[in-house]
Amino acid sequence: MVLRLHKLTIPSLVAVAGLLLTAAPALALSAGGEASPTEATKVAAPGSLFDAIMFYVVALVTVVSALGVCISKNVVRMAVWLFCTLGCVGLLYFLLAATFVGAIQFIVYVGGTLVLLIFGVMLTSKSPWARYETHPVELSAALVVCVGLFSTLCLVFSSMRWPVVQWETEGTAVRDIGVALLTRYLVPFEAAAVLLFIVMVGAAHLARQEKK
Amino acid sequence: MSQFSVPWKPRSEVRYGFLSRVIIAIAAAIYAIFKPVVSRFPGLVAWAVLILSCLLVWAHAVIFDYVDETILRAAADQDITRPVIQFGSPSTWGYAPSTIEPLLAGAGMGSGFASLCKYALWPLQFIIVRDLIILAALFALFGLVPAYAIWWERKVAGRIQSRTGPMRVGGWHGWAQSLADGLKLVLKEDLVPDEADKPLFRVAPYLALIPAALAFVALPFGVGWVFRELDVALVFILAMLGIEVVGVIVGGWASNNKWSVYGAMREACQMVAYEIPMGMALLVPIVCAGTLSLREIGEMQSGGWFSWLAFSNPFAFIAFVSYVIASLASVKRAPFDLPESESELVAGFHTEYSGYRWGIFFLAEYAAMFVVGALASVLFLGGWNSPLPSSWAASWGDGWIARIAEGILFGGPLWFIAKAFGFVYLQMWLRWTLPRIRIDQVLYACVQVLLPLTMLLLIGTALWVWALESSGFAVFSSIVSVILGLIGLVFAFGFLGIAGYGFYNQRRLVGRLNTDLLSGS
Amino acid sequence: MNKAMGETILESQPDLLIDIDRREQGDLDTEEMLVNMGPQHPSTHGVLRIVLRTDGEMIQEAIPHIGYLHRCAEKIGENLQPYQFIPYTDRMDYLAGMNNNQAYAVAVEKLAGMEVPPRGQAIRVIMAELNRIASHLVSLGCYGMDMGAFTPFLYCFREREMILDLFEAACGARLTYSYLTIGGVFQDLPEGWVEQCREFLDYFEPKIDDYNNLLSFNHIFIKRTGRIGTISPEDVVRWGLTGPLIRASGIRWDLRKVTPYDGYEQYDFEIPIGEPAGSDGFPAAGIEVGDSWNRYFVRVLEMEQSVRIIRQALDRLPEGDFRAKKVTNVKLPDDEVYVEIENPRGQLGFYVRGDGSAIPYRVKSRGPSFCNLSITTHVCRNCLLADIPAIIGSIDVVMGEVDR
Repeated sequence: MVLRLHKLTIPSLVAVAGLLLTAAPALALSAGGEASPTEATKVAAPGSLFDAIMFYVVALVTVVSALGVCISKNVVRMAVWLFCTLGCVGLLYFLLAATFVGAIQFIVYVGGTLVLLIFGVMLTSKSPWARYETHPVELSAALVVCVGLFSTLCLVFSSMRWPVVQWETEGTAVRDIGVALLTRYLVPFEAAAVLLFIVMVGAAHLARQEKK
Repeated sequence: MSQFSVPWKPRSEVRYGFLSRVIIAIAAAIYAIFKPVVSRFPGLVAWAVLILSCLLVWAHAVIFDYVDETILRAAADQDITRPVIQFGSPSTWGYAPSTIEPLLAGAGMGSGFASLCKYALWPLQFIIVRDLIILAALFALFGLVPAYAIWWERKVAGRIQSRTGPMRVGGWHGWAQSLADGLKLVLKEDLVPDEADKPLFRVAPYLALIPAALAFVALPFGVGWVFRELDVALVFILAMLGIEVVGVIVGGWASNNKWSVYGAMREACQMVAYEIPMGMALLVPIVCAGTLSLREIGEMQSGGWFSWLAFSNPFAFIAFVSYVIASLASVKRAPFDLPESESELVAGFHTEYSGYRWGIFFLAEYAAMFVVGALASVLFLGGWNSPLPSSWAASWGDGWIARIAEGILFGGPLWFIAKAFGFVYLQMWLRWTLPRIRIDQVLYACVQVLLPLTMLLLIGTALWVWALESSGFAVFSSIVSVILGLIGLVFAFGFLGIAGYGFYNQRRLVGRLNTDLLSGS
Repeated sequence: MNKAMGETILESQPDLLIDIDRREQGDLDTEEMLVNMGPQHPSTHGVLRIVLRTDGEMIQEAIPHIGYLHRCAEKIGENLQPYQFIPYTDRMDYLAGMNNNQAYAVAVEKLAGMEVPPRGQAIRVIMAELNRIASHLVSLGCYGMDMGAFTPFLYCFREREMILDLFEAACGARLTYSYLTIGGVFQDLPEGWVEQCREFLDYFEPKIDDYNNLLSFNHIFIKRTGRIGTISPEDVVRWGLTGPLIRASGIRWDLRKVTPYDGYEQYDFEIPIGEPAGSDGFPAAGIEVGDSWNRYFVRVLEMEQSVRIIRQALDRLPEGDFRAKKVTNVKLPDDEVYVEIENPRGQLGFYVRGDGSAIPYRVKSRGPSFCNLSITTHVCRNCLLADIPAIIGSIDVVMGEVDR
């Protein structure tokens, strides 16, 4: 008689964990939510204890999964870690009440770019279990860059005085962004659109090209 | 022991762990309690479960309302200062139980009852507590919608194919079939192929499940009936539908099976392609409404049938049809069910999945079906509003009966769920009628037909909305919307008529099979 | 894995090599993948295994591998008297047991010089045509399912059940009948069977329109099967394809007309063939002669003709013996005979060689599915993965008869 976890134990635990994982982002969304279901309750600015807890949890997951992207050797696993990272960054936006940016982060980076990325990885990798071994030289070079960047950021963060912004709940961000894009930032917006269009045509041309 | 010798290493005997035993014991206990009632009055039990679950959801809304009225507002009126408690997000203040008691007694509750209720109602002041309760209800709905959609799909498939579908479990038309299936799936062995990428294989179903569950968070079931009201709810839900695909791709990839990879590739292609026309088609009502908030869009359509956005202009009407097609593709339903097309790819991305994890994929798929149906209903078909204008209810007063009647007649979560399920029914109907399209035809239809079409519709709607500023055009527009509404009415009656005809003539249409031999048919 | 076989086939077909060379000139090359379709796959209709050499969704080559269901049926026939071998013929093409019985019976009767009484012949024709309908119904339904349409499958099986009821009433079996035996049929029709059969025909004939509305003329279905896997008439003859395949390619060839057996010359029926788009009763566009859609549709039209034949046979069902007097221990002369009849899937031939005893010296059969399957590699080339079920399904193989 070997005492071992039954087949069901782990799935059940994972299911509970999954539901909790689902609940956590849902609650995170609540932090930045601006309108409450009833009039009697009031909206408070972020900064409560609960928001702080949520922030640190999500930030920790972000960092851990970002490390996972760097450490894992399998390409698809990297992509899944990246999925986690990008998703958590989206949640951070929600925590900071930047719902529009958060939603765009989800739809563009997580839903669009990442799917294309996994798609590309699946199309191009030579074998299903392509592994990426890092050469020590590459590793040390990366370390140097990382340490440099990290120390610079630390310096900047510690030396900078952060202005405290009065948080506004009124007004929809989407409308402001839309108006700004079509008035003040029209030229950059159009320029970006034209650039993306050129990229798309170029990609289509490359994909269809055949050798003479 | 074994009288057969096998060349491979036999698996150790299946033993049930603690959690399995608990689940089995609970299931057996529930079965033992309800067996006498279910076996005698199966139909009654089915309806009772349905009505009770509606009442349960309604009851907590009433209790929350009561707490707001009798505690929070009354305390504010009497100018009682609130002690600050640093917990809970928006509502950081709560009244102590001793403060609550007189308020409750003042609201007409007996003093003995109030002293009991003060402890029960105290936590409900905090948004975080309410959130958890609503979240529990939402996840229960999230589990129940697929369970009943699957049962319903099997019934619909049965009727279409001149058979009966599930008839046994639970008695009345096999209404508990999905529950039994779910229990079976949970109790099955959790198989992971030896050559699979095991962690990814295990995690993939959840990658599909979590976005589907999160989409429910922003769905508005009615005014105030939304867990989190986001001003970008539409973008958020679309993003969640888009993220769900990652689970499918990763699952297909991690299975290390060529058929699964084919399924995953197809899913990726199809999803990336169809997200664009679907989003474009959804932008058309957004342009008409001028907001991304689903609540505002819903409230905008409270003026009855002819105010629904699908009938606001011809472009929106065509956009509705385009959205229906694109949404079928995005939730991989027939005729676009290529990622799991069983005649080509065995079972597509879930070839290697079985038991519990397979069930999770299905949970996510059916939940996504409901979500796209809900989006269609809120953006095109009036959301939670009934076809009757809600202004008719203005003269009804504010009594309890009037409020209930309004909730049933003029709009509310029931209308929302009914519309979403109507859309799910349409998806099932198409699935059991049409053959599957080939992958190149799927992509052709997207890139060369739907995408240009929805772009034109978007431009057309923008021009239409711009032209509405002149009063003459506004009159013309309202005439057009009445005509479109009438066309829609004809379609709706046709839809209901065909479904009703099928329902009332099922005996004749089913033919001379063994319907009459089965109990409860 | 099976590279050697693939290469030999490549060498034997230089035009295939040219195609591959052309593809390799592309700029963005992807890797080829060998995929096993079957022997356990939902749309290979049994234990057929097809090794696909694929480039993404494109199929470069499809090589069928057979033999998973080999049961030495022919060798068994060399150890049994003909009437004892009849049950084994059922198991070859298990969807058309009656027709298989008939083929072997006709061959043995020709060898032994036996006469079948007129009533026996008429019953044989009725049963063979009913079984043709049943077999085509399975083919139709499964083909719909291969294309992702589930519902026609259930409709087809609903009607097939009624045919099986008729068979059960006549012989007691629902799948392996052994009803048509040497010298006639094994027992007479039960009382009331003829009326029941007429009732079924009246019920069944309008149902064919249902299938057409639901599946045959469905736009998606035509898109999926039209102009897919087209076989030219020359190729059909060159590869020895028979049955619905040869007729779908526009050749009016049916052994019931060409070399009538069991009195088929008495009945008035037509041979439906594949037509180009725009012909009377055919879709206006999207199809061509010899494509998968035409192979499918020829079967639908054949069912109508079978109903015609059965009606005539029921009307003029003669009285008298249903079987020759002596059917066991018949001495087979030292001679050889080769007889082909029209099976639902094509020409089913039996070669029987006697040596003066009651047990044949040699039995060999020519299975239509086996020959029809041989075109797979030729047709499934530079098509999409989803076209493979469309082509295999339209060829309609029964692996029991391919492997025997």
